Amino acid sequence: MFRKYRKKSPWILHYNAGSCNGCDIEILAALAPKYDLERFGVINTGNPKQSDIFLVTGPVTFRSRERLVELYTQMPEPKVVIALGSCTCTGGVFRDMYNVEDGIDRYIPVDVYVPGCAASPELLIDGVVKALEILEEKTKAIEKPFRLFKEASSENGIINRRHSALKVGEKDEED
Amino acid sequence: MSKKTIHIPLGSQHISLLEPVRFKFECENEKIVGVDSDVGFVHRGIERACTTKFKFDAIGYVVARVCGLCAITHSLSYTVAIEKLLGGEISKKAKYLRILLLELDRIHSHMLCLSHTCENAGFEAMFMRIMGDRELVMEIQELLTGNRIQFDYISIGGVNRDLDVQTAKKIIENLALVKAKVFSYIDEFTNNWSLSLKFKGIGALTLEDAYRFNAIGPLARACGLPIDVRNEIEYLPFDEVGFKMQTHNDGDINARNMVRLNEILNSLEMCENILRGLPEGEIFTKLKGKPKGEALMRFEAPRGELMYYVKGDGSAMLNRVRIKTPTFACIPAFSHIFMGEEYADAPAILASFDPCLSCTAK
Repeated sequence: MFRKYRKKSPWILHYNAGSCNGCDIEILAALAPKYDLERFGVINTGNPKQSDIFLVTGPVTFRSRERLVELYTQMPEPKVVIALGSCTCTGGVFRDMYNVEDGIDRYIPVDVYVPGCAASPELLIDGVVKALEILEEKTKAIEKPFRLFKEASSENGIINRRHSALKVGEKDEED
Repeated sequence: MSKKTIHIPLGSQHISLLEPVRFKFECENEKIVGVDSDVGFVHRGIERACTTKFKFDAIGYVVARVCGLCAITHSLSYTVAIEKLLGGEISKKAKYLRILLLELDRIHSHMLCLSHTCENAGFEAMFMRIMGDRELVMEIQELLTGNRIQFDYISIGGVNRDLDVQTAKKIIENLALVKAKVFSYIDEFTNNWSLSLKFKGIGALTLEDAYRFNAIGPLARACGLPIDVRNEIEYLPFDEVGFKMQTHNDGDINARNMVRLNEILNSLEMCENILRGLPEGEIFTKLKGKPKGEALMRFEAPRGELMYYVKGDGSAMLNRVRIKTPTFACIPAFSHIFMGEEYADAPAILASFDPCLSCTAK
């Protein structure tokens, strides 16, 4: 049941990691009647524990990086991260300033990059729709059963599992 | 009833905040008795980068990224300061176009503030209505400059795009629509009973306190303090296009909303006057040389007075750029207003200040 409704109504957590407000007000504009992101069931929440999509704006400043990582770790799996705006993707105009960490992908993995200064609501909607696809894939990947061990090898009649454990990300040959 | 106080944090990440700011409220039951604020989360080091990384002709576009809402005021203040140092005279048409965009920016910023105040007071429908109507102004800005938020419209010596006849026609049409909407908001804000419960008499600042805490912008004008930089400067002809000071006497959230609504009406009138009496001429004058000397420039951003100090020594790199932003000057007044209010009203009061933290921390 959760799988069905997660796709139908993804909740967004928005965090400003030092942006100029431009992208933040475009998020508000996207939620407002003209662009109406809420028709996809999207709602802006303040609680990381109920959110599916993490929307970050701004190059990461020195003081906001701890909170950024903390918010990311508090969100339950599956989760998607959208980097909104040029400065979030690469640092943009703020690159190499002394208090800026040049983009969020130094700290957390990013799934969708949305460029633009400021990113327009149309691009934001495209990004969220793309994020929904990724969210669905991630949900499937989580729910798929996987094996911890390969076929047990037996030497001299003794079953030995020592060398048959699968490493992280390694595919089972029978798959 | 115990005398024990509880500490409640608001932020740095909160649903009612667009930007990271942290307030620590010391509450006695429901009353706020102490406030501690921390605004430095978004400090990026723009002032430093302006003197080491960028040449003087690019900084106009860099300082626009200090703040997305008052981007135009930032780049305008810097550009006018540099023009003062280079010693050139720009054409009258360029000056009028600059005022036009400045006032359009003020309209959309005030509308955002009003809608955000309504949202934080729990009136979601009004938020949606104002945000929907704000798109009319955003549409004009996109037509005029090519972008919705970060315009990059002003360059040293003039403006980057000319205004053609069709755009002017469209602007006048949209502004007339906005004007009708603003009158309906004034009706709603004065007569709606549930909004009056949240706004009237809450978060009040007296005239003496406004003097004492050095309040500026709509916050001061709502207390009856007539300060507006547009009234005091000469390098842009604000008096020619019909600027009028808007003040109110109550000092509470409702007064701030009314001041903002009246300012929107005044700005609409100014935009119309500009479009109907736009002078002929070039939009761009080439200015030569490198900035040498010091210049101080003040402008009225949507939130209050914005001050730029620029110092150059005749090379392409500047020696010092200092930005003093409106929200920074208002923080003592903010902290004073929170004292003695209910904790439940805190988000609405905070939104009614229209704080801009990315300006403050730079």
